[in-house]
Amino acid sequence: MKRLYVPLLLFFLIVVEGIALEILPADVVAGESMIIPHWLLIALVFSSIFYDREQSWLSVGYALLFGFLFDIAYTGILGVYMFSYGVAIYVTHSLKKYLQSNIYTAMMIGTLAIIVADGIIEVIFSLVGFANISLSEYIMFRLVPTILANLLFLIASYPILKHWLMKWGSD
Amino acid sequence: MNFFRKKRLFIFLMSMILLVVMIGFSINGRSYLTTPEQFINDTVGWAQNLVKAPVDYITTLVSDVEHIKNTYEENKILREKLSEYKNLIYQVQEIKKENDELRDTLDKTESIRDFKPIQATVVARSPERWIEQVTINKGLQAGVEPNMAVITADGMIGKIQTASEFTSTVQLLSGFDQLNRISATISREEDPIFGLIEGYDKKTDTLMFKIIDHSGGAIEKGELVVSSGMGGVFPAGLSIGTVKDVVPDQYGLTNTALVKPAANMYEVNNVIVVSRTMVGNADKDQQEGAE
Repeated sequence: MKRLYVPLLLFFLIVVEGIALEILPADVVAGESMIIPHWLLIALVFSSIFYDREQSWLSVGYALLFGFLFDIAYTGILGVYMFSYGVAIYVTHSLKKYLQSNIYTAMMIGTLAIIVADGIIEVIFSLVGFANISLSEYIMFRLVPTILANLLFLIASYPILKHWLMKWGSD
Repeated sequence: MNFFRKKRLFIFLMSMILLVVMIGFSINGRSYLTTPEQFINDTVGWAQNLVKAPVDYITTLVSDVEHIKNTYEENKILREKLSEYKNLIYQVQEIKKENDELRDTLDKTESIRDFKPIQATVVARSPERWIEQVTINKGLQAGVEPNMAVITADGMIGKIQTASEFTSTVQLLSGFDQLNRISATISREEDPIFGLIEGYDKKTDTLMFKIIDHSGGAIEKGELVVSSGMGGVFPAGLSIGTVKDVVPDQYGLTNTALVKPAANMYEVNNVIVVSRTMVGNADKDQQEGAE
């Protein structure tokens, strides 16, 4: 039963991400800067830090699976989030053994994961012709606001997610 | 060690190939989803319905409090408008009755204006901002089909992209490109101007209305653009937006009107899916939205 908690949490985050933009005031959403909620990615980063053992790659599997679900539910273009989340969590998981697990390293790894994932997403979407902005515009209007907004989520959810994931992963 | 390095490279290359295949499979404007995709969409949509209700309750509460502040001013204006509308209603009723009688005498009861409305609620908006898409809580079971127009009280907001059994996704006007054309017209008493809406310009936040027919003369700013019903899928008379500016195209042969959408794409809550009642057989193969 305990094994089901992490997938359920990730599924819940997918569902809530769809409503995230509706909660923000319309002016912010319509404005120039594009804030992308990467809550699922943040939760995956936490689970790779606190839930996974050194030898288990469960969080990478979850990243692929739930990235795929995200693709189906929200973009209709399959594989983009699956691939980018998978790579980002793979990087996170490989880095984890060199770092201690506290909130500062979590923020650092989280930022790195967002840069990797969102960067890959942007490259793929500009290759298939959906995105058409220059690199500097991308950094100014999408990457930086996205990182800041998601770091807020990371800091706010750190205590509770850490507590849960440690508890679920402890047996 | 060498073996592991090779294995890693092999996995990487395989996943790249898989990625390209998956993107290639899904990008070419499919209107019908595979059964697993429909199932996942419906499951996520069902969960969103559950979460959305309390969230909506709180957000409407907040906006209600804001509205209370200027209730008095609004009330005054609305009362004036109401008396105007009363007159208008009588006129419309008379005209409707007359129109019906005339149609009866002509034995022509179907019109390209007729449509069956399907009420729906937006349950989610895609967090990925390059994809302008919202999810609504009605699907194939309620009669929603791909390529149907979606409107709000203000005007058109998009068309159904894909439909699952209980949910469907709406492609918003702001995500339209040259592949999603709407045949439209400028509503006037005489000399209507016909053309196609071909895509959305993100820089100016306007729709690009390419004018085919030049006979109508000059277009003025502020004129209303409505769907013409000529494409076969969208019924006639759905309001799309108002003309903001007119610019010649790069060769100077045709004019493009920049049309500001009538409905706000970012505050969509309740929508109506427009199911056109009269669809010609010839149109079925060659649908407007997927030209």
